[in-house]
Amino acid sequence: MSIGSVSLDRAGRPDAVLNADALRADARRQALGLLALLSPGLFLVFAVIIVPIGWLFWLSLFDQTGQLSLANYARFFEQASYIRTFATTFKVAFAVTGASVLFGYPLAYMLSQLPRRAASICLIFVILPFWTSVLVRTYAWLVILQRRGLVNSWLIDLGVIGQPLPLANNFAGVVIGMTHIMLPFLVLPLYASMKTIDVDCLRAGMNLGASPAATFRQIFFPLSQPGLASGVVIVFVLCLGFFVTPALMGGGKVIMWAMRIEQATSLYSNWGAGAALGVVLLAVTLALLGLFQWLLGARATGVWSSR
Amino acid sequence: MTKGFCIHGPAIAGLLASVAVPASAADTITVASWGGTYQEAQTKAFFDPTAKELGITIKQDTTNGLDDVRLQVTGNAVKWDITELGADECARGSKEGLFEKLDYNVIDKSGINPKLVHDDWVGISYTSVVLIYRTDVFGDKGPKSWADFWDVEKFPGRRALSGSQATETLSVAALAKGTPIDKVYPVDIDGALQSVDKVRGHIDAWWTSGAQAMQLVKDGEVDMASIWNGRAGTLRKEGAPVSFSFDQGVLTADCMVIPKGSKNKDLAMKALAKFVSPDLQANLPLYVDNGPANEKAFETGKIPQERIKDINSAPENVKKQVLQDPEFWRDNLVEATEKFNNLIQQ
Amino acid sequence: MLLSLAPSALPIGIHGIEKRFGAVSILSDLSLDVAAGEFLTLLGPSGSGKTTLLMILAGFVRANAGSVKVGGEEIITMPPHKRNIGMVFQNYALFPHMNVFHNVAFPLKQRRVSAADTRERVAKALDLVRLQGLGERRVDQLSGGQRQRVALARAIVFEPRIVLMDEPLSALDKGLREHMQIELRTLHRRLGMTTVYVTHDQREAITMSDRIAVMNAGRIEQIDQPEALYARPKTKFVAGFIGESNFIPVECRNGSVWYEDRKLRMNDPAPSAGRHLMVVRPETLRLVTDAEQAGALNMLPAIVGDVIYQGDSFICYATLQDGRQVTLRDYCRSDVLAKLPAPGEPITLGIDAQDIVLVADQ
Repeated sequence: MSIGSVSLDRAGRPDAVLNADALRADARRQALGLLALLSPGLFLVFAVIIVPIGWLFWLSLFDQTGQLSLANYARFFEQASYIRTFATTFKVAFAVTGASVLFGYPLAYMLSQLPRRAASICLIFVILPFWTSVLVRTYAWLVILQRRGLVNSWLIDLGVIGQPLPLANNFAGVVIGMTHIMLPFLVLPLYASMKTIDVDCLRAGMNLGASPAATFRQIFFPLSQPGLASGVVIVFVLCLGFFVTPALMGGGKVIMWAMRIEQATSLYSNWGAGAALGVVLLAVTLALLGLFQWLLGARATGVWSSR
Repeated sequence: MTKGFCIHGPAIAGLLASVAVPASAADTITVASWGGTYQEAQTKAFFDPTAKELGITIKQDTTNGLDDVRLQVTGNAVKWDITELGADECARGSKEGLFEKLDYNVIDKSGINPKLVHDDWVGISYTSVVLIYRTDVFGDKGPKSWADFWDVEKFPGRRALSGSQATETLSVAALAKGTPIDKVYPVDIDGALQSVDKVRGHIDAWWTSGAQAMQLVKDGEVDMASIWNGRAGTLRKEGAPVSFSFDQGVLTADCMVIPKGSKNKDLAMKALAKFVSPDLQANLPLYVDNGPANEKAFETGKIPQERIKDINSAPENVKKQVLQDPEFWRDNLVEATEKFNNLIQQ
Repeated sequence: MLLSLAPSALPIGIHGIEKRFGAVSILSDLSLDVAAGEFLTLLGPSGSGKTTLLMILAGFVRANAGSVKVGGEEIITMPPHKRNIGMVFQNYALFPHMNVFHNVAFPLKQRRVSAADTRERVAKALDLVRLQGLGERRVDQLSGGQRQRVALARAIVFEPRIVLMDEPLSALDKGLREHMQIELRTLHRRLGMTTVYVTHDQREAITMSDRIAVMNAGRIEQIDQPEALYARPKTKFVAGFIGESNFIPVECRNGSVWYEDRKLRMNDPAPSAGRHLMVVRPETLRLVTDAEQAGALNMLPAIVGDVIYQGDSFICYATLQDGRQVTLRDYCRSDVLAKLPAPGEPITLGIDAQDIVLVADQ
C-alpha cells in the first residue's frame, strides 16, 4: 500500500493527499476486520432469532390442508374466546406488573439503602426462588392459598373470616403466584439502577429545601426510572407468554395466550394454528413496546440520554 | 434361539422364550405411552412379558399425544414403532394418514369392541370419567348422577369439571340434562353446551390435567368433580374421604398405532398382537385401574372376582356407562372445543 | 431585593462537637466561631474530620454531642431541608434528569416561589456565574467548569445566609481551578454570605480565605488569617502542612535559643527551656556573601549539596553542621546569580531574627 502511495507522490500529487489512498484502504480493512469479528454474533442472531420467527410466520400462513390461507388469523376474529383470552392475558400482565412494582419498588429501595454486606445477603434471598422450579413454587402457592390452605385455615382459626377467601383457582391466585415469580425480574434491574444514584444528589435535594418525601419524588424516583422501566418491560413481556402458573393457579378460568397456543396446536392438526397465535402475540407485544418506548422517549428530556 | 425361529410366530417364540438370548439391535422396538404409573403398569402387564416371549428388547419413551406422532411422521423422523393415543386422536390421525395399516392376520381382534378396531388403530385400554364427591362433606348422600351434580340447590358445594377435555365434559353435560346412556352419541353439541352453560357459574375450577383434578379433590378445594377413574382409585387407596361409582361414567378408550414409517413395522405388529391378547390384557387391571380393551381378558381367570367389579371395562360396569365415539369426535372435535372454550371463558 | 449585594449574613457558632463512628473518634470537642460574612476555610489532610464537620453543619451527619448555632439559633437537630444553608458538593451533585434551569430553580420550587420570580432569580444567578443563556442545556452537555458554576448558582439562588463548599474545585484542572478560586472570592465579596469552605489544598485556602482553620485528627490545630498562619505557625503540623519548612532542632536555656553551640537571636520572646524546632521557610534563608550584611543575621555554616535553577528563582540544597539538609529559595536577581555557589562549596546561611518561629518538637 505504502509503495503505491509513494509512486503516486512521484506522479506529482500535492502534499495534502499524501498517503490518502493508503489510509483509506487501511480504514476499509479495519472496518472489514470488525465485521469479521461481529459475524459469529450476527450469524447467531440470524440463526436463533430471525430464522425461527420467520419460520413461525411462514407456518402460520398454512391451513390444515396445507394450503396457503389466512384461516389461522381469521379464527382470531371469528371466535370471541380468542379476544377474551387476549384481554385476559393483558389484564393478568398489567395486574402482575402492577403488583410487582408495588412490592418490588420498596424492596429494591430497601436493598439499595442497606450496607453492602447486608444488601448482598438480602439479594440472595431475592434470587433464591430462581433456583426452584416454577412448578414447585406454583404448587407451594396452591397449598398456601387454596380453600383449605394455610392462609384460609389460619384466618378462620383466628376468627378473622368466616368463609374461606377465594385466593386460588381464580384471577387473584394467578396474580399472586405470578407476582412471586416475576418479582426478581423487577427487583434486580431496579436495584442496579438505584445503586447508581449519587447519594450527594439526594443530599443536595434536601439541602436545597426539599423534604425527604419531596426529595424522593423529585430526585430519587425519576433517577430510578431507567431501572424501573427495564424491570417493568421484562416482567410485562414475560407475563404475556406465561404458561405454568396461570394453568395451575387459574383453575381453568384464567386462560392466557400461551395456554391458547398449546390448545390450538393440539386441537388443529397443523402448526399454523398455534403459530398464528404466536405471531399475533409477538406483533402486539412489539407494538406495545414501541408505544412504551415512544411515550418514555417523548417525556424524558434528560433521564434516558444522560445516563 | 435364532432370528429364524422368531419369524415363525409368537407361539414357537413363546415356547422358546426360556432359552432367549440377548436381542440384537434389529430385535428392538420402541414403544411410547403416557408415562407415570400407567406406563409402569403397562410395562409389567404388556411390555416385559412381550419382550420375553418374542425375545426382543422393548425400549420405552413417553408421548404427549398426536402432535408428537404428527411431528415425527411429517418430519420423516419416526422414533417410535408403537405409540399409545387417545381413541379420538387415533381417529384423527387415521384421517390424516399418520399410521401404518394393521395386519389383523397377526393381531387377533376378537373380544375387542368393533368400534375400537380399525384399519390402522386398535383399542388397548379404557379410562372412565366418573363423578367423585367427598364423603366428609356429603356422607354417603352425595351426588350420584350428573343431574345431581348439576343440581346446585340440592347439592351445594364447590365443583370442578374438565376444561381441557371438552369431549368428556360435553358427554357428561348431555347425561346431566337427562339423555339416556345409549342416546348420548351422537352428542347434541348445542344441547350439551346449553347444559354446560347452566352449571358454568358454579364451577370453581376447570381442570386441565389428571393430577390437577386429583389435587383439587384431595385438598378439598372442591367437593365434587369429574375425574378419571384411575385418579379416583388412587385417591381412595390413599385414604381420602371420597366416593365414586361407574354409574353414568364416560368410557374413553386408548388405542395403539404404528406410526407411518416405523423401521420395525413387522416386529411392532407382533408386539401389538401380544399387547391386545386376552392373556396380557388380563394383566393390566392387576397393576392399574385402567380396564382392558379386550373383554376376553375377563374370561382368562387371571383377574380375581372381587377385582372385576372395580374394573371399568368389566361387562357389568360397561352397561352403566357411555362409550365415547372416537369417530364422532374426529369430525366434531374442533368445532365443539372452540364453542366449549368460548362458553367456559365467558 | 433579589441576590442582594449584602444580605444580612449570619454568624455560626460551633461548640463542643463530638463525632464518633463506633470506637473511632472523628471529631473531639471541636469549637469554632465563624463571623457573619466571613470566608472560613477548613484545611486539613484527608481523614482530619473537615468534611464530617461540614456534613454536621449541613445536617447530613448527626453529631454525638455539641451545638451548632446560626445567628444564635440552635440547629443541631434541625432536618437538613429546613436549615436554609446552601451547599456546593465535591462532584457538584447536579440533578442529571433536569436541565440547567431546573437545577437552579429547584430550591426556589421547594420554596414555592412564583414562576415569574423564579425565572428572574435563576437568570440573575446564572448571570452571576456567567452562564447566561445556558438554561436549556442538559447537565451532561456542560464542561466541568460550567457544572461547577451551575452548582454554585443553585447554592446561592435562594439567598442562603450560609454557604458550605466541600472541595468544590478539586475535580477541575489546575488552570481552571485557579481561575475559579478568584471568581469564588469575588462572588463572596459581592454577596457577602458566611462561607465555610473545605479543602485539602493549602494554596487554595491561602488564596481565598479570610481565616483558615487547620484541622488534624479531629481537632483544630490553629485558626488564623492566612498571613499569620504562614508566618507564625503554632505547631509543627501547621508549619509542615502550610508551605514548605525547614525544621532545625534548637534548645532553649535561660531565655536564649541555641543551635548546636550558637546562640540565636530572635524577636519573639523565647521559651524559657526545652528542646524546640525552629521553623525556617526556604525563602527566609539567605546566602550571606558580605560581612556587612551578616551583622544583622543569625549565621549558620553549611555545605552546598545542589543548586537547581528554576528560571525566576533557584533552590539550593545545603547540609548543616549536624548533617541536616535544609532548602533555600531565592529570586534570580543578577547580584545573587553572580555569586551562586557551586556544589560542595562551603557557604553561610543567614536568618533574620524576626523570621525565627519556634514550635514544640512533638
